[in-house]
Amino acid sequence: MLDRWLPFLIYGLFALAIPVSMIVMSFVLATRPTRRSRARGLPFESGVSQGPLEQQRFTISFYLTAMLFIVFDIEIVFLYPLAVVLEQLAWFGFLELLFFIAILAVAYVYVWRKGALEWRR
Amino acid sequence: MNEPWWIDGIKSVVIVNLVLLTFAYMTLVERKVMARMQLRYGPNRAGPFGLLQPMADLVKLIRKESFFPANAVDTLYIAAPVVSAVTALTAFAVIPFGPGWEIFGYDVSGYVVNVPIALILLFALGSLGIYGFIIGGWASESKYSLLGSMRTCAQLVSYEVSLALSVLGVVIMSGSLSLVDIVDKQNETMWFFVPQFVGLITFFIAGIAETNRAPFDLPEAEQELVAGYHTEYSGMRFGLFQMAEYINMITLSALCVTLFFGGWHGWNDDVLGPLWFILKLLIILFVFIWMRATLPRLRYDQLMAFGWKILLPAATLNALLTALLVVAL
Repeated sequence: MLDRWLPFLIYGLFALAIPVSMIVMSFVLATRPTRRSRARGLPFESGVSQGPLEQQRFTISFYLTAMLFIVFDIEIVFLYPLAVVLEQLAWFGFLELLFFIAILAVAYVYVWRKGALEWRR
Repeated sequence: MNEPWWIDGIKSVVIVNLVLLTFAYMTLVERKVMARMQLRYGPNRAGPFGLLQPMADLVKLIRKESFFPANAVDTLYIAAPVVSAVTALTAFAVIPFGPGWEIFGYDVSGYVVNVPIALILLFALGSLGIYGFIIGGWASESKYSLLGSMRTCAQLVSYEVSLALSVLGVVIMSGSLSLVDIVDKQNETMWFFVPQFVGLITFFIAGIAETNRAPFDLPEAEQELVAGYHTEYSGMRFGLFQMAEYINMITLSALCVTLFFGGWHGWNDDVLGPLWFILKLLIILFVFIWMRATLPRLRYDQLMAFGWKILLPAATLNALLTALLVVAL
């Protein structure tokens, strides 16, 4: 069982080696700046100088999206194993699936009606 | 079929390099094709027909000054593009590309990795890649970067749900999560793009959003956000982010071919298997470029509404209907 994962390890090492070597090469081969100035290191602001750093605040929708994602992604994690054995379970499996999705649908309708799916500005 | 480990090593090197080559020439083909669609010539100075352009780009990127923004968190700032690129490259490992051959008395299988949870592994690696985007945007301590990475993260997680649900029909029909089994099953019955047509459409749309391609390229909408999460990046680190993005697109197209278009199957596929696979892959990649040249970008609230209110129910209903048909028939 475990030896199926050996090729993945080998492949993963090569996949790791290439980006790392590119980064290392970019340090070795990069041109050095001849002149240092403070302005070069400032964050990009389309030429407008940056004001004092302030607390960044985001719309609530980003947090709602994150929570909805967790709910629905866990749904998928539960559905995948069921999908694999669905043909053997036949009608029992299908009813389980229907039951599971029905419960989720209640939550989904609730979330929709509450307006959590609208993007707020 | 037990192979000695060095065959896996050779296959890994070949596949990793082929993916990188495809990525390099994807950048050229994209610029060329888009240019022709807009009645321009595109890059044509480096080499005949601009064929050496990717090499020139590589040299340019690697020679750029390695630059740190004043406020950046240095370690994370460097690690982020590497994380994205590594996960993108690794995800390709599970894609089968041929029937397997006997070369000099050794059995060489037509895949690098065949694990029973290949599909989940692929999605998991794709999700890990998001860490690179969000860390990169956060570590560079710039408004545009942070906004871009928040947008990227929200968009990717929203569409990942639909993406994973849209292939549920395929999993139900083939009864396996291993991509090798899914390809075999399609050869026995029929290619899944016929029975799973709704699944294909939702998969493709969600896939475009997952790879930040137009019309869903909100994370780097240049008119609003400059360049999104990689605003502060330059040189090879910027190059690695681009690489991650293009390789994600290649992997997604390969997955699309594998799940819906019969993988490497085709006429005379004992010998020509990999060629069929590459041909189908290129056609899907062309569609990606075509859509970018044709469609205008969505607004952010439209994007989120579309993902949660249309794509998600469509994918769920498709899975449910497939389950019903599989059980009833």
